[in-house]
Amino acid sequence: MGKRATIVLSSSDDDDKDFAAESILKYFKKPKAGAASVPRTSSKGSKKARISSSRSHPGKTGNPFDEMKMFCEDFGEGFTGFKVPPGHKRDDKELWVDKYKPRSLLDLSVHKKKVEEVKLWLEERIITKNNNHYNHVLVISGQPGVGKSATVHTIASHLGATVYEWNTPTPTIWQEHLHTTNAGLRYMSKLDEFEIFVDKIRKYGLISSQKKPFIILIDDLPVTNGKISLARLQRCLNLLVQSVCIPTVILITDYGKTETSDFTSRCWEELQTSLQNAGACKIGFNPITVNSISKMLSKICKQEKLKLTSNQIDSIAKASGGDIRNAITSLQYYNLKGISDNSSHLDDGCCLTFGRDETLSLFHALGKFLHNKRETENMITSDTSLKEEFTRLPMKMDVPERVLGQAHGQARTIADFLHENVIDFVEEEGIDDAYVVASYLSDADTLLAGGRFSNYEAKNLIQSTAASVAVRGVMFGNRYPLSSRWHAIRRPSLWQVEQSQWRNKKEMVGQRCYYGYNGVSLSDLSVIATEWKPVSKWLSVGGNELLDLDHSQELCDDEDEIEEDW
Amino acid sequence: MLWVDKYRPKSLDKVLVHEDIAQNLKKLVTEQDCPHLLFYGPSGSGKKTLIMALLRQMFGAGAEKVKVENKNWKVDAGSRTIDLELTTLSSTNHVELNPSDAGFQDRYVVQEIIKEMAKNRPIDTKGKKTFKVLVLNEVDKLSREAQHSLRRTMEKYSASCRLILCCDSSSKVTEAVRSRCLNIRVNAPKEDQIVKVLEFIGKKEGLQLPPGFAARIAEKSGRSLRRAILSFETCRVKQYPFTNNQVIPPMDWEEYVCEIAADIMKEQSPKRLFQVRGKLYELLVNCIPPEVILKRLLLELLKKLDSELKHEVCHWAAYYEHRMRLGQKAIFHIEAFVAKFMSIYKGFLIATFG
Repeated sequence: MGKRATIVLSSSDDDDKDFAAESILKYFKKPKAGAASVPRTSSKGSKKARISSSRSHPGKTGNPFDEMKMFCEDFGEGFTGFKVPPGHKRDDKELWVDKYKPRSLLDLSVHKKKVEEVKLWLEERIITKNNNHYNHVLVISGQPGVGKSATVHTIASHLGATVYEWNTPTPTIWQEHLHTTNAGLRYMSKLDEFEIFVDKIRKYGLISSQKKPFIILIDDLPVTNGKISLARLQRCLNLLVQSVCIPTVILITDYGKTETSDFTSRCWEELQTSLQNAGACKIGFNPITVNSISKMLSKICKQEKLKLTSNQIDSIAKASGGDIRNAITSLQYYNLKGISDNSSHLDDGCCLTFGRDETLSLFHALGKFLHNKRETENMITSDTSLKEEFTRLPMKMDVPERVLGQAHGQARTIADFLHENVIDFVEEEGIDDAYVVASYLSDADTLLAGGRFSNYEAKNLIQSTAASVAVRGVMFGNRYPLSSRWHAIRRPSLWQVEQSQWRNKKEMVGQRCYYGYNGVSLSDLSVIATEWKPVSKWLSVGGNELLDLDHSQELCDDEDEIEEDW
Repeated sequence: MLWVDKYRPKSLDKVLVHEDIAQNLKKLVTEQDCPHLLFYGPSGSGKKTLIMALLRQMFGAGAEKVKVENKNWKVDAGSRTIDLELTTLSSTNHVELNPSDAGFQDRYVVQEIIKEMAKNRPIDTKGKKTFKVLVLNEVDKLSREAQHSLRRTMEKYSASCRLILCCDSSSKVTEAVRSRCLNIRVNAPKEDQIVKVLEFIGKKEGLQLPPGFAARIAEKSGRSLRRAILSFETCRVKQYPFTNNQVIPPMDWEEYVCEIAADIMKEQSPKRLFQVRGKLYELLVNCIPPEVILKRLLLELLKKLDSELKHEVCHWAAYYEHRMRLGQKAIFHIEAFVAKFMSIYKGFLIATFG
């Protein structure tokens, strides 16, 4: 929510008082709502000293709290280039997202229950100072723009607590990196920096001279790439959960979790579960309802004295897809445009010139394909050369490829979803149709796997072809689609199957040496699955018992005897 | 201990089924330096047993003093390092591993890890350096790249180590690798050989075998010796003294496939197809290889089928088995086969009974 804009204020003259206060602002974003109420100058003396020293020798000061701040300050240095002249008036240019930031609990558009949950959690740890809690970490997850950080900030200011925020270091640009390596500076990955930060927090906490309670907010977890760095981040966060003694809130944004099964989204899920396992409390925020977004929008309209019909507001709210930040920005942009030309096209609802580009959700597109609506009367087409069994009535929708493009689903995802759901749409007696559909899906899968191409373009082409084959195959094969009734579209259970299969496989790989051969040799996976496991179930012997150390001892003892008689 | 392990021949001299191979192997190691070896043959034919006996022949009882290690390897691959986790079994003279566990990173295992192992060679009692033996399992599951690296590794380190490769089918091992090894085909034992082994075990255990009982087990085993001994033991646990008409318990997943086949025969509709999919998922979750499922399913279906349909059904099973290898997700193809079968069978039923 425009946080970055608020962080970068900095004074050009070195008036000590302002400088001290504002440099803190740079590194720890204060609760925006109560910015004025936060004592900016509370421990002015110490900070001033710190700042003067930190410029040259970070790490000399004794106070760990200061040290941590200074540490964060180093990260913030990237921002100093973007100075905004002090006292700059920008009332009218301010983003509405900042202007209409929630200031009290009532302003929040987040569901009351969730707010209450978060509030309760923070209260327990701040007000009652009950140190019996083992966990001081709260994980809030949700789509972007559902008000995760706004909630934390608002509640904090409500409770009179200060929010200290882990401020993501600016990313290093490649040229910059080259430059600094020449200067002899070592590159630190963001993950390294985050680890150090967590380490300091764990060891020293925040020892502040202020009387106010405080909360640490970690908004941007460093992006991890690959298993190793994910494991590092996980380890680091687990340590944090286990040992931190200050209420800490970690925000995790999940991006379209339902629609992909790819690695990154799985990473975040894995991270969340591992945090929970470590003892963190988790609260998930749902997308904000269209109703509360429209309420918020009309409130803004009233204050800005805009004239918008409720229809227009509704369509903005709908287009935002539960992302309130997006909705407010859309509204502002809409206002900017002056509504001069044609406000009528907004009423159509279908083509907003702004807002999200996602005109079709994946599910909407899938619904189109699966319901397979066709014209009812036979409009005889020109090419009658086709045999009757291959002719189909014209489709009642755009070309499938276009719909695919609008839904921007990946070929694999589309194929998986179609595979999961298509059987529901085939009529009771139509096993032949089911076969045609299945055969096309099989074709699509074969295409998807055809990864012998090193060329990206070719790969891309194959992907689109596969999606096309899957979609058209499903539509062609299903000759007599069931009359439209309500069908829930399921998430492919295949994904879950694959995950548990993968887990089982991993487990088997681990047990490999316990099955058969007395542990003297390793068994093949397929043999474990098809023979050792079922048999050990029969004989009710666990895999581990097949190789007990005692057993192998016995083996050595009676070995001779067997050898004699063999 | 299971009978399979208890009565596994420990030395090449005591092998019961592949005596000729065993004798040749013995000659090979006693007379001269042994070349790289590639053992291939169907599951349960005795490849592992031969390998273990061979190792014992080479290194004595020391080959059985193994330790299991779950090692983490850091492989330096140009700009980045790759972390690999791999289970290895090793004695002083040999190391056994499954490079295909590393998935698509298997070529690093082949390149780097093997190199590292080949470097530190054991020294025998006379202070002479001997070679180290690497046993690589499931070579047919290795990626093409890994097999290519394997070829190089074999040449480069042939002075310091010997590779023993083991796989089910040599057709998936590249020509280059095959030509650098002594290929040893281990056939599935004949049924009378299996009967012989079973009778031997029966005698050892002091069991009364009704006539023809061992033959029935052998027949059911699909010529897999391991399978036969395992069923023999389960029979013993289920019911003793044996009776001639005693059921030989099938594996649980086989029973399940049988159930699926019955489902398919009973009703041919999209709804049934969906139920079948659920059951197939169940099997896949338990890591039953999809090829095995498809094959078994075909066998079960063929049992109940009219002979005029058999040819067509087999054709489609083969077609989708091939597809499965080309494709990514097995279920798409198995399901297509099931749908095809249902469609054929339903057409047949309508044609015959109207």
